[in-house]
Parts: sequence; structure tokens; C-alpha cells
Amino acid sequence: MHDVKRRYVIPGDKIAEGNFRPLMNVVKAGNALIATRIGIAETGRDGVKVIPLSGVYIPRVNDLVIGKIVDHSSLSWEVDINSCFSAHLPAQDVFGRDFSPARDDMGRHFATGDMITARIMAFDRTRDPTLTVQDRDLGRIARGETLKISATRVPRLIGKRGSMIQTIEQATQTRVLIGQNGIVVVTGRTPEGIKLAVRAINMVEEEAHTANLTQRIKVLLNVPDTPSQQEASSAPIGGAPRIESASEGVEERLEVEGEK
Amino acid sequence: MTQTRNLIDSDGKRTDGRGIDELREVKISVGTVKNADGSAFIEFGKNKILAAVYGPREVHPKHMAQSDRCVLRCRYHMSPFSTDTRKNPAPSRREVEISKVMREALEPAVMLEDYPRAAIDVFVEVLQSDGGSRCAGITAAAVALADAGINMRDLVAACAAGKVDEKIVLDINDTEDKEGGADMPVAYMPRLEQVTLLQLDGNLSPDQFGECIDKAVGGCKMVYEIQKQALMQKYFGSETELQEEPQ
Repeated sequence: MHDVKRRYVIPGDKIAEGNFRPLMNVVKAGNALIATRIGIAETGRDGVKVIPLSGVYIPRVNDLVIGKIVDHSSLSWEVDINSCFSAHLPAQDVFGRDFSPARDDMGRHFATGDMITARIMAFDRTRDPTLTVQDRDLGRIARGETLKISATRVPRLIGKRGSMIQTIEQATQTRVLIGQNGIVVVTGRTPEGIKLAVRAINMVEEEAHTANLTQRIKVLLNVPDTPSQQEASSAPIGGAPRIESASEGVEERLEVEGEK
Repeated sequence: MTQTRNLIDSDGKRTDGRGIDELREVKISVGTVKNADGSAFIEFGKNKILAAVYGPREVHPKHMAQSDRCVLRCRYHMSPFSTDTRKNPAPSRREVEISKVMREALEPAVMLEDYPRAAIDVFVEVLQSDGGSRCAGITAAAVALADAGINMRDLVAACAAGKVDEKIVLDINDTEDKEGGADMPVAYMPRLEQVTLLQLDGNLSPDQFGECIDKAVGGCKMVYEIQKQALMQKYFGSETELQEEPQ
């Protein structure tokens, strides 16, 4: 990572010139690589990308999302995944291949209004996303406080190697489920703990790109600073945003969830 | 468009005290409408305009959806209190036209093919109007689109130029618009060096036309710098260079 160059960009800014590969939120115009979003441009050996700082959630295959069942037909549930596309969860995914609309009662599994965690199984430009709940820890969420944050803030909420979310969970005695679509569900033993966790999450969202955020979250949560934690948190210097790749962050998070 | 009084005095100053190449004061603030996905508020001289962007979101009615690209919808509206005498809030012929030209001015910059079957709604609300509200509206809408995190090839900056007392002047105000010789609003993508809007109300000779368009493009470049500054300020504060974390 030593040879990665970072800088702030807005749409239309020239990031680099030469034989680089345009990766994420970058277009090639002649020999120049141009940013298409506001964010942090990274020029590395594999190519050039812009980590966006704003925007709505656009689904990607294999994303872990939290959604709400809004309707169902005889063959699938319609799920609101906080995106411009509403997702479908096929009944066959839940009942198996021998699902029969006449025999099986879909209401037995999910009702309108239920919150679920699911993975995006398929999505392309021509069809709405298809979900699956056939994996560990996926399915209906029994209870919890739901809140919505910007999908671009999810990696910051998770933090480096899950540091930020672990800090919040441990300090507030809660469990925080984060979907890559920006939906967060907080469960806990006490309402005070949940309230404090929600405050901390909202603070992360509002101040995601500011300096010393981890420090301020610790102050809010009354977490004492230990030398080892200081190293792990490595707060950004001088307002430099620290955003990890979304997929990396969430993979880490899933592992953490799996261990519980 | 008949001129009845001198709009430029003997010192070369215009009715509001500006020189012929001077822009009115422009201020842009980003993220002013919390409910919107992206928003901006612009003060362009006496113009006060709010732009809010929603989307990409589901298209309603669904038959409007395009399978290969996103639908960009713009609505330019003047509040009843934005003018001296009350303006009927129903969309007028002028507002319908400006909504259309605004959409056409923004479309080349937005990467619509990245969001098939979705819609992006741009609302431009004029709270106080002076001359050149369509240019100010386009400028604010481009900033709001960038704030909404929509993929764009470039920002769109807009500025008008015109003819007053047989002189080509930059950024004409309301009085100059009504009493001057010509008004030419231009929207421009500065990096791509492409004009996305060019209208002309009045008469210009071919030489004057060339001079007018050059002046308007120059004004767009000045407006672009203000747009850039406003976006940088919102997202990165006073910092312009990213400082690397210690490894």
C-alpha cells in the first residue's frame, strides 16, 4: 500500500494521466483518468479508483443487506433494500425446489413488515436484485432498533478490522447488525445501551470524514483509552478520511458475527 | 428589447456598479436540504435559489422507465413570493421551458447509463429572483447532483452574457435583461469544454455573437471555481490536500 497515492476529487477532476486501469467511479477520457464522484482518489498499481463520500446504495452481487418485506406474490417476497431497485426473495429459496404455492403457506416464514438479513444472489442492469437467505446468520431479524445511514458510511462505521463497531458494541452492551445498504439494526439488553449505540452510530455517520472520530466516539461512550487501542484505532491525521473498501469491511464484519 | 435609458455610465459602470466583465457575487452552500440525497443553495447576485436532488430512485409512473438508462427529470419553479408582484404558483409556459432546457443542460454531464430503470429528480426552487435565474439554477443543480453522489463526467457551470448600450457585458441582471439589447445564457462543462445550453434573446451581429459567447464561457469558468470550492468545503473542510496516515 506504500505506493498508493490519495487525493480529494470532485466530478470532472483529472486524477492521473497514462496507462492506468479505471476501477471504481473513474472514466478514461483519452489518456486521462477522470473522477466521476466526490471522494478520495487512489492511484495504485492495479489502477485508479475513487472511494465515494456520498451517494445512494446501488446493489452488487454478494452484498449482505438488511431489508424489509413490503409485499409478496404467490412465488416471491418483495423486499425494500433501501435502493432504487426493490429486491425479490424467491419462495423457492426458503421452501426448497419443491415449493408449491397451493400447498405451502408463505406467511409462515415472512410477513409484511418483517426485517430480514439477506445476501444479493443475482443482480444486473436488466433485472431487479434477487436475494437469498440460505446462509449462516441470514433470515428474519426478531427484534431491534432499526436506523438508516448513508451506504457510503458503512465501512467507516465498521472501522479498520471492525474496530469502530466493536468499540460501540462493547461499550454499550449491544449487538449491531450492519447491512451494506446502510440499514443498521441494534439489539441490546437495556434501552439505555441501545440509545447510546444509536447516538454513536449517528455521530459516525455525521462526522465520518473528520479527524479523530474514534477518539470522540470513545469520549461519548466513556471508553478509557489504552495504548494498544490507540495503535489499533490510528485516528486519521488532519481530517484525512479513513474509508476502507466496502467489501473488505463487511467481510470482516461477517466473520465477527459468525464467531458470536 | 428597446433601450430607453443609459445602462452603462460614463465611467463604464453598470446600474449595479459593476464593470462590464464583472460577475455578481456568487455564494454556494452544499447540503442545505437534509431530506434530499443532494442539495445546494445559491445566491447569485439577488437570486436566491434552492436545488434538491432525489435519486437514483424508482420511477413512478413505471412506464416512464428506460431499460438502458436513467430518466432525468427537472422542475424549475418560482415561488409566489420570489418576484415584486405575486407570481401564480401554477407552472407557467416559461417555467415549463426552463425545466426542459435545464434538463438538457444537465443531461450531457450525468452518466445516465449507470442507473438503468431508475429516475433522478432535480427540483429547482427560486426563492428570490433577479436576472439570470436559469443559469443560477443550473449551477446549483449541478452541485446538488454531485452532492447526491451521482456519477458525472463533469460539473455544469452556467452564466449569461448580453448586450447593453451596444457593449457586450458579462452576467446581466434583471434591469439589463429587460431594458438591454440581448441576453445569452450559456451552460458549459469546463473540463470537457462543451456548451450544454445556448439561448439568445435579442439581436447580435456575428462579431458580437462571438464576443458574447466567449465572455459567457469565461463567466462559466469563474462560476465553476466557486462550485468546486463549495463542494470541497463541504466534504473536506479547509483542507485541499489529503494528508496520508502514518504507515
